[in-house]
Amino acid sequence: MSRSYLFIPGNNPSMLQQMDVFEADAIIIDLEDSVVEYDKDAAIDLVNNYLQQLKPTNLEIFVRINDVDHPRFLADLIAINTWNIDGIILPKATLDSLKKISSQTTKPIIPIIETPLGVLDVKEMACFPKVIGFLLGAEDLTKELGIKRSQEGKEIFYARSHIAIVAHAYNKRVIDTPYVYTKDLEGLKQDSQFAQNLGFTGKAVIHPNHVPIVNEVFMPQIEDVILAKRIIEKAKETNFGAFSLDGKMIDKPIIERSKKIIALYEKYQRK
Amino acid sequence: MKAIAGTYESSDCFIKISDNNKTEIIIESNVFEQFGDAIRDVITKTLQEYNINNVLVECFDKGALDYTIKSRVTTALKRGGYIE
Repeated sequence: MSRSYLFIPGNNPSMLQQMDVFEADAIIIDLEDSVVEYDKDAAIDLVNNYLQQLKPTNLEIFVRINDVDHPRFLADLIAINTWNIDGIILPKATLDSLKKISSQTTKPIIPIIETPLGVLDVKEMACFPKVIGFLLGAEDLTKELGIKRSQEGKEIFYARSHIAIVAHAYNKRVIDTPYVYTKDLEGLKQDSQFAQNLGFTGKAVIHPNHVPIVNEVFMPQIEDVILAKRIIEKAKETNFGAFSLDGKMIDKPIIERSKKIIALYEKYQRK
Repeated sequence: MKAIAGTYESSDCFIKISDNNKTEIIIESNVFEQFGDAIRDVITKTLQEYNINNVLVECFDKGALDYTIKSRVTTALKRGGYIE
């Protein structure tokens, strides 16, 4: 699990070799949109050698491949299958494309939900054991819907809610769409908080200066951690499945949630 | 046969490979005095790895690390049909 997922172009040596200085919890090395068509082959060679010689060990590393209809899809996947990475990010994911890639890799997969069909297919995709989470791609989704993408993001409310609910139902991570206004840090904070309140566990990032805010928003708050520790303590002391703390009823789901909060807090504190 | 790969951006290098009557490596770099031998070594080892002889490799270096030099040489070799 990570809070911030920073996209880095796969054919840019300068960005690749600095990936561990941006303080993102996870890096998404991009072989898709940020790599021009005539340099896709060069990106594969560059990332291959980078991962063999310099791969950092203190962050999760994912690779966004080209979509399943791209002519390089299969050749790239054969190379990527040999890489030591934490998973593959599948663009324009649908149930059909997930089936296609799933039969040809053992890597964990995070589908990007960025088409109307993808939104409808989320629940079936969540049943695949290789799927470890979902990433919402709001720019392409709104383009496909023929609607304008706004700064407030009201038009993606349903997609966000749907994906977050399905992801939690199947115990998957759920990553929010990037905030594309690179200089609007207050807007980024509000957007991140809104997504976090819907259940998102992290957010994709397209500019390094967004990383600290996203990390802060998705870090469990200290008052929540203190309360979670008190709940766990009380649960250990009592033999009842449900009990009262500060006048509120505490039962199994709240105890489990408290364990998750403490585990996440401790993980991010170590970074 | 002539093939190219890479860019002139910082931390990258531009590689040009063409047929030649012997293996020859030409390097242009702002840090040639400090790293010229190391760059030549990476290019030589990459050519040896693929068993390539009789090519002219021109390297225009902008501070590339070893993995980048190796990658750009490999891509140029593939593009030129020297390797698959």
